[in-house]
Amino acid sequence: MTGAAASVARFAAMGTRVELHVFGCDDPAALAAARAAILSVEDALTIHRPSPTTALNDALSSGGNAVVEDRLLFGALVQVDALWRGTGGLFDPSLGHWSALTIDRASRRVSSTRPLTFDFGGFGKGYALDRAVTALRAMGVPSALLSAGESSIAVLGQHPLGGDWPLAVPHPANDGAWLVELELQDAALSISSTIGPGAAKPGRAAMIRPTDGAIVTTAATAIAAAATGAEAEALSTALLVSDPVARDRLCAAAPEQRFLFPHAAPVGAERALEPTA
Amino acid sequence: MTDDDFALSRRTFLDRVLLASAGVGMSAAAPWAARAAEDIAKGPRVRIGVIGTGDRGRTLIQNLNKTRNCTVAALCDNFEPHMAKARAYVPANTPIFTDHRKMLEAKGIDAVVIATPLDLHARHTIDALEAGYPVFCEKAMARTIADCSAMVTRARARGKILQIGHQRLFNPTYLNALKRAQAGEIGNITQIRASWHRNRSWRRQIPPGGTEREINWRLYRDRSAGLMTELATHQLQVANWFMGGLPTRVMGSGSICFWKDGRDVYDQVALIYDYSDGRKVIYTSMLNNARYGCEEQIQGSKGTIEPELGRIYQEVQPGAVPALARMRADVQAGRKNTVPIGGATWFPELPVTTPGDSLGWGEYDETMLQFEGFGEAVRSGKEVPGLLAQAYYASVASLLGEQAIDQGQALAWPADLVTF
Repeated sequence: MTGAAASVARFAAMGTRVELHVFGCDDPAALAAARAAILSVEDALTIHRPSPTTALNDALSSGGNAVVEDRLLFGALVQVDALWRGTGGLFDPSLGHWSALTIDRASRRVSSTRPLTFDFGGFGKGYALDRAVTALRAMGVPSALLSAGESSIAVLGQHPLGGDWPLAVPHPANDGAWLVELELQDAALSISSTIGPGAAKPGRAAMIRPTDGAIVTTAATAIAAAATGAEAEALSTALLVSDPVARDRLCAAAPEQRFLFPHAAPVGAERALEPTA
Repeated sequence: MTDDDFALSRRTFLDRVLLASAGVGMSAAAPWAARAAEDIAKGPRVRIGVIGTGDRGRTLIQNLNKTRNCTVAALCDNFEPHMAKARAYVPANTPIFTDHRKMLEAKGIDAVVIATPLDLHARHTIDALEAGYPVFCEKAMARTIADCSAMVTRARARGKILQIGHQRLFNPTYLNALKRAQAGEIGNITQIRASWHRNRSWRRQIPPGGTEREINWRLYRDRSAGLMTELATHQLQVANWFMGGLPTRVMGSGSICFWKDGRDVYDQVALIYDYSDGRKVIYTSMLNNARYGCEEQIQGSKGTIEPELGRIYQEVQPGAVPALARMRADVQAGRKNTVPIGGATWFPELPVTTPGDSLGWGEYDETMLQFEGFGEAVRSGKEVPGLLAQAYYASVASLLGEQAIDQGQALAWPADLVTF
């Protein structure tokens, strides 16, 4: 595919800028299918307008139960349930109440023993990119890079020139410095940070550790690569709010894919960065 | 401007009105425009008796003088300083009256134009209709909703033309804006934010022989609803027009918070008009800050129209990610470089300041065009279609807004209005 031109789609969705770069396939239906997949996830998971998620939130906000008819929402709940367990409860889009939840896969009934609501946040972006990758693959696309807000990335297949996709995560405060460089293929990448553009703006939601309700303010950037966007999002979020013990446990499980960078040094300092994994 | 220049400008203006009103759906949304821009029938000019020769009345007289089918044949005002100024615009032998009933009885006119204080509109209109004359009355229609309805009812009962002045209905920029909105260029219109902000007291100097209540009638509740009837009416008409419907309810708040000079109308108002399907018109007017001026921000899912500025804006799509643009160029050039990506993205939701595109066609003489339409209506006995409904509902909306403010509660759109 040397010299291959990309087909590109750029649009606003899920509160951010989405870019889809497809190589080796000129069929505009491929990009259209990927875009539709992302917008479908937005429609299902948004809490900023009426959606299946807001309907479920209405039902569970008083501790009740509901049958989830929407397949995308139900699929998200099932995935989150597994990721909540896998992260020891550190990834919890119900703000620490997931343990009160029961998901009956046969009846698709979701019930809670206490009032709770869902805000899928960044997970939605990863989940949406997974659906877009699936759509592109079904259209025969051999190579693609998808970005949702530049902090959620998915790569499909090999780089158009062959081999892995070389990606580097920039330092959020030091121009020109990279936190880590990764080589990925058929994988997703998620970056979560407590600093960077807009992180300190009024109205920006604080990061909260679901296991004890603590507000996490330590300057740090968490990076997670995984097979799926949903998994990468859950892991980067979990890493960012983790305590040292949990952080070491999560990073040890995949030391080449999970990183937490504290930013204790003043912005612009020459001191070397201190990756913890 | 020479006569030839004027004729050329007029033709250009009329051509623009015709062009703007020719779009899909426009015949239903603005049925008056194309008809008003049609050629004038030959025949004697319609003789107009003007009641009220204050600032607005004199402006109307000057516009009547520009028409091809009307002539000012009588003037009426009981305030001599105004009458003296008005006489400068008409032939010296034009009959003048101090009592409108005398003018109506004199029989030297074919129709009446009313530009008196708001509280007199209903009486003057109904007296003229009862005397058998078609009437053109300045907006707002009347001081009360009941009087607005009575004016329509009486015109129908007498079989006479009643037309209310709303010049934006004939403005080619507005017509073009409506045409482009109807074509879907700004998507589904869900909110209109309208404002009329000035930074002056609105108080006029009282000439010798004048009285505070006669000159500054806009500042007193028994004569006017102030900002609501004198300014908001224009923009509520535009709102109804672009929303393609009527409000379902209104809520609002008002105060006298800056010009505490003895007036008893609000110098600041803020209202929300609900429309079907959750759509809203948010209206504000004030008299001590002019930065945002007079505008209607017509907002749809794909764009925004600001007709006073004559601009149309598309919603801004996100810009390209620089690192991914470089990656794409690298691939095309056969280079495989590391892609730096992953910084947190945050878009500050600041006001968008893109310049937009021109709607074209600045205003010309839409007030004159209203009168030519009125003149043809008088000649034919057939009203210019659609105008009265627009004016009536705009006046009702403004007066209902005043009631909502006064009562401090949301008020439903009245169920007992005249229908069209």
